[in-house]
Parts: sequence; structure tokens; C-alpha cells
Amino acid sequence: MKLQKLFVLVLALVFTATAVLAVEGGNSRKGKYLFKKNCKVCHSEGAEGGNVTPLSKTQSQWDRMFKKAKHDPKAWENLSEKDLLDVNQFLFDHASDSDQPETCG
Amino acid sequence: MRLFLTLILAGLIALPTAAMAAPTLEDLQLQIKALSEELEDMSELVEQAETHVAKDRINWYGDLRVKADAVHYDDVTFNPGVKVDFDAFAANMGAFSTPLTALDGTVLTYDETASPNATNVYNLLVGNGFPAAAAKNLTPLTSMMLANPGMVDGFLAGQLTGVKNFSFPVPQKTYDIDNDILYSTRLRLGMKAKVSNDIDFTGRLTMYKNWGDSTAVKVFDSWDAFTMDGTNSGNTTGDLVHVERAMFIWNDIADTNFYLSIGRRPSTYGMPTNYRENEQRGGTPSGHLVNFNFDGVTIGYKLSKVTGVDGQTVRFCYGQGYESEYGNGELFGGIETEDTHLGGFNIDLINDGMHAVQLTAFRAQDINDGFKGVFAFPTAYAPLFAPTMNADMQKFPTFNFVTRYQPSATIGNINLAGIGYAYEAFNGASFFGSLGYTGSESTGEAGMFGGMLSDAVFEAQLNDTKDEIIMMPARAENDKDRDGYGIYVGMQLPAPMGKFGLEYNYGSMFWTPFTQAQDDAISSKLATRGHAGEAYYVFDITPRAFIKVGGIYYDYKWTGSGSPVGEPKEVDDVLDGKAYSMLPAIDTAWDAYASMTVKF
Repeated sequence: MKLQKLFVLVLALVFTATAVLAVEGGNSRKGKYLFKKNCKVCHSEGAEGGNVTPLSKTQSQWDRMFKKAKHDPKAWENLSEKDLLDVNQFLFDHASDSDQPETCG
Repeated sequence: MRLFLTLILAGLIALPTAAMAAPTLEDLQLQIKALSEELEDMSELVEQAETHVAKDRINWYGDLRVKADAVHYDDVTFNPGVKVDFDAFAANMGAFSTPLTALDGTVLTYDETASPNATNVYNLLVGNGFPAAAAKNLTPLTSMMLANPGMVDGFLAGQLTGVKNFSFPVPQKTYDIDNDILYSTRLRLGMKAKVSNDIDFTGRLTMYKNWGDSTAVKVFDSWDAFTMDGTNSGNTTGDLVHVERAMFIWNDIADTNFYLSIGRRPSTYGMPTNYRENEQRGGTPSGHLVNFNFDGVTIGYKLSKVTGVDGQTVRFCYGQGYESEYGNGELFGGIETEDTHLGGFNIDLINDGMHAVQLTAFRAQDINDGFKGVFAFPTAYAPLFAPTMNADMQKFPTFNFVTRYQPSATIGNINLAGIGYAYEAFNGASFFGSLGYTGSESTGEAGMFGGMLSDAVFEAQLNDTKDEIIMMPARAENDKDRDGYGIYVGMQLPAPMGKFGLEYNYGSMFWTPFTQAQDDAISSKLATRGHAGEAYYVFDITPRAFIKVGGIYYDYKWTGSGSPVGEPKEVDDVLDGKAYSMLPAIDTAWDAYASMTVKF
């Protein structure tokens, strides 16, 4: 197959595939900021809520938690729906079963 | 779990009691019996799952990348030659002029009228006091000059004194190479296991092959075509699965912030190369300076737990890149190289998800003129170095014998230093910049391909049967310290359906990082002595699958990118025939690629 034809084919495949499969979610980077600002107050070592990091749960466990709002609603009062989606996205993206940095520590 | 189920049971019992008319005692007993049976079934299932988890010692994960590269090289030049000490040559002229004889003792001669060069050889010898009859004798010297007209011209011009270039009797060739499609598959299988609360095991198995080849050995036409320990994971080596990483990490040693990790290191795909890989940080050291498999040790201190700065970690790393004796025929006592050790500091000043600053300072001690490894002997070298072998090899032009190479000289040390910064904005954009420095120190020794960023000086000597002059490396042309620097900048912007990235890097004449395991099809772009630019588009299909389309353009200014062995030459000089290069020199190259990666 000619090279140009192949690339056209690949590009066509790319646009077709992404149009069907692309997912929308929260902003993970902003979620990290919101998590540190709002959640770590209670969820750090020695604090009232005990230490919580993204690694505390799996991706589906985080999603279940946010879907069913298994949390003291008062603590979430200051967070908008979009904020919660961002925090959920951050925790999901860095959950215990997500891709992790492959460093030695 | 049992407590949870009991609470559910209690709730289920309480709810109908409150909500409906009071059931009979018999109804309640039946409900309790049914729920108890269900509870037993669930407990059994939980135990089975628990048993499975307990026996499932290793947690596997991985990714698979299939890639198509269209690779093009422009103005590849093969113009081999070496530097020869002609003063040493002249000192041996008597031995080199010993007449060669047939088996019956008859002195062999050549026809001085057979070619203009043969006439020149004859005239040269007569002009230097040889009797007319003796000047016609076939000797190791006359044999060599008959095969090397340029050498005769040099002698005639009185230029061959001191150290001079010596060209091999092959004409310079300059050509383009178009490999329209090069397919490859890279499979990486990650492993994690919990040894105890503080000790973890982690590893990664890698197979990286180009389609239609599982020989694991390539014809040696560049240092990338060399199957060796440090680059196995980054160069296609057939369908073999290599252990790219295998180490334990012992955290919180004695309840301190120290950790220890020993084994085959995570020393590939480090920051900031992870952006173009569209993955998390793939290794500990700066990817601009080190992308090379090492076996070694890291002692780290999580300073962030003291200072509160996210990700702040200080690490001392030590590794061995070359074992000089074991496996190298040490029992014969002929080893003259040293073990190569690498040590230094790798410091993350901050890594908080928005800002990342990394400092690197390493020293590679006792570098040799290569590594031990395997390649297929290039047919093109046979007439240059092995005329006797070539006599038979030319009958089998496609038979490349596989050989194990090992270096022969300890050529010096290299210091590496770098600082890198990456910024990740809320809107998904990322920007990074990295400055690198490599400084070499030479021992003045050299092997066949040269010394530390210096050419080898060859001295002529007779072979064991005294009938051929052979050139053997004697020393490096110089033992100067050489400074090299490199810059690497890039950005990645959110774009429809994914991300768009632009990167640029430059390496100076003596830029010599350890990034040879970077798995680019042409060569590690970050090792380029010259300019390299890349543009790519990543289509994020799902969080665990993406397609990447892009291209890399290489503009080499100097030869020998990625190797500390040999003096870098200006590519233009090689093109113009003013400089020699033992390996083909590439002027420019580009690689257009498309890949799809799935993570699992």
C-alpha cells in the first residue's frame, strides 16, 4: 500500500474511533488542587477523617463513593457539582489500580 | 464482612416489623433461616475470593503499542578511514619490506607496468634507494600500497609523517535511504507484589520487535544496531521478552523517611519524556540525560515529609554499566578494561502535580570503548579489516556472521548534570524545559572505534604470519576534556479529542548523554548532536487507549550521536570527503509515525 494512502486510512480510523469512543470527564489537575485545599484538612495523618490519598481506593470504588455521595454532606457544601467531578476525576485518575509513576520511590 | 451482613440482616428483620402488620413467629423463623443460609453462601464466596487474593501474589498490568514508522535518511555517507602514525610506520619499514615468497621459496614479484599505481609504487621505492630488482618484490609494504593508491600519493608528496588520515580502499558513497513502512510492536508487562508492609517488589518485562524479524541481532551499522544490556528494551530485539526492570523497594526503613531499592533500575522514560509517551513519569532519572537500563541501587530520602513540599525527594543512585572480567574470558588473563560504575544524585526539588523541578548530577567512571554485546558483522567491513576473511565472505554476501563484541580499552569518565522543569496548567496544557551538561575526561587510551571523544591512532604492524601489514589501535589522538551541552524544550496543549505536542532539542558537538535506550526508530532523538524537532497529536480514545500520530526531524551537525567513542566530525566535512567516519554518517533524517497504545 502506498504510504500516503496508509496515513489517510489511519487518520480516518482515528477520527472515526475517537468520535465514537471519546469520554468526557472532570479536570484532574484542578481536582488535585481542590482535593488538597478542601479535603486534606480532615483527611491527613492524625486528622479527624484519617489519611486519605487517591491510592486509598480503586477507580470504581471512588466512582461509587461520589455517585452515592457516601460522605458527610456538610464537608461538600462548599464544592460545586463541577468541583466534585474534578475531585472525583483526580481520585479516579490516581486510584490504586490506575497508572502510577514508574519511579523507584 | 460478617458484621456488615449481620447489620443488613438485623435491618431486614426490623424493617418489616415496623412497616407492616406483625408477622407470626413462624414467618420470622423462616425468614431468619433463609437469610442465614444466604449468609453462609456469601461467606463461602468471600472466603473463596479471599483465598484467590492471598494466592495471587503478583499484580500484573501492562501496555501494548503497535507502531508504523516511515523512515527516511538523506545523504548518508560511508567514507571510512583511520588515523595512522606514519612515524611508527617508517620505523618498521625494514620489516615491512621483507620479500614474500612462494611455498618453494621463490620470491614473489609484481608487475610494475600493470597499472599507474603499480608504476608509482615502483618509482617511489627506487626513489628511496631500493635497487631496481628489489623494488619489484612483493612485500607486505608493496602489497599494501598496491591496494591503496592514496597512500602512495601521500608518500610521493612527502606528506606521510606524523599522524595522518589513512583512507580505506573503498570509494566514498553518499546515498538516501527510504524505508516507507517499518512496523513494530512493543509489549510491556508490569508486575507488582507486596512482600511485607514496608517492602514491595516491582518489575517490568518488555518485548520490542519490528515486524518480520525475531533474530534479536542486527547488522552493525550504528550503535543502535547493537544488542546489549543497556538498550535491550529500547531497540528492537525480536520476540524475546527481556527483564527491563526488577527491583525491591524497602520503604520507611526503621521508621525513618529513608528507602532503599536494589535491582534492575527504572532508568528509562524519565521526565520530561513522559509527555511524548503520553504516560505517567516512566523512570527516576531525567530522561534528557539518562534513558538506559542499569543494574544498581538507590538510597532515597523523602524530604517532603519534613519540609511539606510535595514530591521532594533526594536520591543517591549507584549502578554498574559494564562488568569487565566475568564472562569476558578472564581466566585467560587478557582483560585490560575496567568495570564501569555510575553514581550520583537525583533530586526532585518539587513535584506537586503542577510544578516539577528535577536536578541531576552523575558520574560515569571508567567508561570503555563500547559494551559487550552481539551484532552481525557488516559485510562492508570485511574488505577494510579482514581481506583474508573477505576472500571467502564475498562469496556469501548475505551471510553476516554473528559475533560477540567486547571493548578493549578504558577510555575515560563522563560527568552528567542537568536541571529540568515542567509546568502543568489547570487547562491541561503542559510546558517543560531541560538543560543538560556532559563533560568527559580521557585516559588517552583507545579501541578500534576510538578513545573518549577522540579518534584512535593506529599503528601498522605485521600479522602473525608476517605477510600482511595490519593496523591496530595504539592510543587516542588526544586526551582532552570535552564539554557538551543539550537543551530540550516542549509543550503539550489540549486539543480536540486529545493533545497536540511540539518538542525541540539541540545537542552540541560533544553532547554525550546516556539515552540510547530511547525507542525512537531512527535513533534516540535526545542524543542528537545537532537539532531535532517533533510534532505529534495524541487522540485519547479512552483513558486506557490512545492513538498517536507525529513526526521527528533530525538534522545532524556532527557524527557519532549517542556514543562517547570517537571524535565527532562535522557531517558536512564527511560529505565533502574531508573527514572519515567508520560508521555511516547521517546528514538529515525524518520519521513520520502513527501508533496505537492500549493499557491494561
